[in-house]
Amino acid sequence: MSANSVQVLANAGKGESTRTLLRVIILLLIAGAAIASRLFSVIRFESIIHEFDPWFNFRATRYLVAHGFYKFWDWFDDRTWHPLGRVTGGTLYPGLMVTSGAIYHALRALTIPVDIRNICVLLAPAFSGLTAYAAYLLTNEMTPSPSAGLLAAAFMGIAPGYISRSVAGSYDNEAIAIFLLVFTFYLWIKALKQGSMLWGALCALFYGYMVASWGGYAFITCLLPLHAFVLICMGRYSTRLYVSYTTWYALGTLASMQIPFVGFLPVKTSEHMPALGIFGFLQLLAFLDYVRSAIPSRQYQTFLWLFASGTFGLGLLVLVVATSAGVIAPWSGRFYSLWDTGYAKIHIPIIASVSEHQPTAWPAFFFDLNMLIWLFPAGVYLCFQQLADEHVFIVVYALFGSYFAGVMVRLMLTLTPVVCVAAAIAISNVLDTYLDARSPNPEDHQVDDVSDGTAKKAAKSGLKSTSKPVVGVYSTVSKSIVATAMTAYLLLFVLHCTWVTSNAYSSPSVVLASRLPDGSQHIIDDYREAYQWLRQNTREDAKIMSWWDYGYQIGGMADRPTLVDNNTWNNTHIATVGKAMSSREEVSYPIMRQHEVDYVLVVFGGLLGYSGDDINKFLWMVRIAEGIWPDEVKEREFFTPRGEYKVDADATETMKNSLMYKMSYYNYQSLFPPGQAQDRVRGVRLPDVGPTLNVLDEAFTSENWIIRIYKVKDLDNLGRDHASAAAFERGHKKKKANKKRVARLLRVD
Amino acid sequence: MRWLPTFLSASLLAATGALAAKKSTEERFKEFHAKSLSSTPVKLADSSYRSLTATPRDYTVAVLLTALDARFGCQLCREFQPEWDLLSRSWIKGDKPGASRLVFGTLDFTDGRDTFMSLGLQTAPVLLFFPPTTGPHAASSPEPIRFDFANGPQSAEQVHEWLARHMPNRPHPAVKRPINWLKWISTFVITSGSLTFAYVAWPYVLPVIQNRNVWAAISLISILLFTSGHMFNHIRKVPYVAGDGRGGISYFAAGFQNQYGMETQVVAAMYGVLSFATISLAVKVPRIADPKVQGVAVLAWGGILFVMYSFLLSVFRVKNGGYPFSLPPFM
Repeated sequence: MSANSVQVLANAGKGESTRTLLRVIILLLIAGAAIASRLFSVIRFESIIHEFDPWFNFRATRYLVAHGFYKFWDWFDDRTWHPLGRVTGGTLYPGLMVTSGAIYHALRALTIPVDIRNICVLLAPAFSGLTAYAAYLLTNEMTPSPSAGLLAAAFMGIAPGYISRSVAGSYDNEAIAIFLLVFTFYLWIKALKQGSMLWGALCALFYGYMVASWGGYAFITCLLPLHAFVLICMGRYSTRLYVSYTTWYALGTLASMQIPFVGFLPVKTSEHMPALGIFGFLQLLAFLDYVRSAIPSRQYQTFLWLFASGTFGLGLLVLVVATSAGVIAPWSGRFYSLWDTGYAKIHIPIIASVSEHQPTAWPAFFFDLNMLIWLFPAGVYLCFQQLADEHVFIVVYALFGSYFAGVMVRLMLTLTPVVCVAAAIAISNVLDTYLDARSPNPEDHQVDDVSDGTAKKAAKSGLKSTSKPVVGVYSTVSKSIVATAMTAYLLLFVLHCTWVTSNAYSSPSVVLASRLPDGSQHIIDDYREAYQWLRQNTREDAKIMSWWDYGYQIGGMADRPTLVDNNTWNNTHIATVGKAMSSREEVSYPIMRQHEVDYVLVVFGGLLGYSGDDINKFLWMVRIAEGIWPDEVKEREFFTPRGEYKVDADATETMKNSLMYKMSYYNYQSLFPPGQAQDRVRGVRLPDVGPTLNVLDEAFTSENWIIRIYKVKDLDNLGRDHASAAAFERGHKKKKANKKRVARLLRVD
Repeated sequence: MRWLPTFLSASLLAATGALAAKKSTEERFKEFHAKSLSSTPVKLADSSYRSLTATPRDYTVAVLLTALDARFGCQLCREFQPEWDLLSRSWIKGDKPGASRLVFGTLDFTDGRDTFMSLGLQTAPVLLFFPPTTGPHAASSPEPIRFDFANGPQSAEQVHEWLARHMPNRPHPAVKRPINWLKWISTFVITSGSLTFAYVAWPYVLPVIQNRNVWAAISLISILLFTSGHMFNHIRKVPYVAGDGRGGISYFAAGFQNQYGMETQVVAAMYGVLSFATISLAVKVPRIADPKVQGVAVLAWGGILFVMYSFLLSVFRVKNGGYPFSLPPFM
């Protein structure tokens, strides 16, 4: 009876339809796990948009939903970058907003009432489910093993390297871009394998969608030509390659040029040149291929040489002329910063100041990928076994991706898919070998071993390790040991991913959480408190000056115009704000008046020990300002003679007189008993006498002092300068120095 | 009688001033310009430094205060000196009549101990720029402007730009770097040599290039390098190892965002061993025909994998204090 039921169970897994059903169920479960693991932040906090950039995307989406697509396309935003404004419709990647707008309208059409905010919050988790499916498809193209695809999907679903940018509320371009990236690669492999124009066109379509969604599309633009180039170098030029590549390039480039932000870049900038170059190269190869079939081989040799050298010379000439004539843009700064972030530090401080543009230390790799990081090389090695065209793709992608992930933390995101695919290939290879219930018979293979010589020679072109024939694993003990160990590692991986997601990647950073001594959770909500205050207590067109990090949040949450925001398109404007923050009050005040600033917002973590505050970012403001006004702002002067960055009594005069220092520490000592004032971030004791502010009034300070807002004073009614007016109000005598004052001049504007 | 010391010191000051001003500003410029035509930057000592920078002056002075002697171990000074020489030479060469009225000088610590003392300098090099106090380009303050070496060694072009910014409306002869013949010749020789070698060795090299094992090895090694943070070392120029403060060596840097050169190599080796064990389990072991050898191989590779992974986790716990997971041997 029991033997019979086992038989039934064993047969149940063998039918094709049963397998398909199982696969669908497993994929659905994986998608469920992928979505569920991204919901930590919603459960722990609430359904809220995270961080900085998502707030802009959210605001843009609301605009799109409210005003319609065409208005959105032509949107000129006069509430940012005051007084310049920003041509928002032409300077963003609209894919994300249009996707959520479409979902919103579709749900509305189905009479499901849903708030646009909830769509935005949950978009990234929903797309992560799709990404897992795309990884499944891509892996299935690589290996015949049915389990590899499912493993890849599972890895993709829960790998922290991807979760870091796709938790619920992280409404950023990457939320949909990674799905598009993986799916475009899948379509490319499909097109290449079949030499199919249809798949090539589909690939171009999704490439166009990717371009519309994320600036990282350049990764595809460089990787596909590289793959094609490697294939050509390996002597694997084929009509399949020709058809798929040219279809992708022609249609994909046209599609990408439809995005106003991209425009003519694909034919101008150097990042796009490899794709164009390979396109031309393939045409030449196709032409040569045709000529070879048409003329005798002796003449063909001469023709080939002449043709090759002529083309090379001509191409070089055109490139030199075009670059020197300025038709082709020089290699852009962001591009250089990919090769060497040291370049960015010297030449473009605004890029170097972003923590995402820093190189990656090894713990970050392990943190984001755990055991996948060491399965990854093994998987790549296994790709060398067959080394068909699609395996070359994995190898090229692995090298390219790991280099860029090493240079820039953010690009860990583009590495994660290939790590998941390669690791899945490796681990499925191990599991397939050791979970096979059939054991080989030792006698069969003893004989084989002797007559192995011929087989060895046949497999010469392959890897050394695969020269012998596969025998299989004999002992059940061996099988169970390896299978148990692998299961343990996989379980550990799941634990790791959950732990990392829960601890590191699920904080909205708008709302902070801390633990009280009794272990209960305490929510610190200063940001929203302050933005709400701005919304309720200031005029609707009151201009807020803050460092650019908070621009999007002020725009999104407080709905007030800002001077600079996270778009960072205008370095000079940012440097102006940096100068205002790092100069003396007398210098800053005219700058603020000229920009019609009504309120200044600073972030101060000294009371709470919140290290991401403005004093810690201050040196970047100084550096960026120094880049534009090297004679007026000097980084050196913010360091003590011994080269230390100090905020206590030893701080330099320039530091103590800077507007940022004054705004951060204004009245701070009054919180403490005399002599006890302490900055908990820098861990220093502050002087008893705090700074005085003459041109600003304190308007608002949040509960934990994280956000401080100051109102810019109007001109003095009696025409005095602010310093003397403030001194008079404090009850000081008029100083004799006033006698020396120069006769007041008539102001001519 | 209280006025006497004041008077004395005042007269003394006047006397030294008169001594310095004995030669008129025009004469001094001519003297130093003539000197710089023969060899620039002018090598200064305490007295000549005082005379050169005395007020009033209708010319501009750029003095590099440096400490070249090996005793002081000033790496930055030695790195900057050739750039400084190059800058002053190409400036003077481009402005022989002295239309820009700029004198370059170098004052070494061994020759100008007193000047270093009086300026209260703790560090070297320091580049001081003395604007003219009289004449058409006179600046409001006679105080020198200090150039910042905070960002490490500067190139001649960067300093040139800085000088030009402080001297508007005057000629700024550009920095001309001499042609590096040695570099050109060596590049040419190396290129032609390697081309010849490639041509001769092609039949022998070709099988190596087409060998899949070679490419697999290259790919794996580069992946291991990149994923173990080699680019971080390269960009941040981290030290190879560092002391732990008790005379020993600390192999692993404290902190999540930090690492040493050797640490990344250890990590790369660990990843390599783990990968190799996986490859062996997946590819090599099932190809062993002898059951006993196979059993031993499974145990060996499985054991290595387990122990190494456990060690990797323990190393990671060093980097990230709150990490809760571990495997048996290295708990």
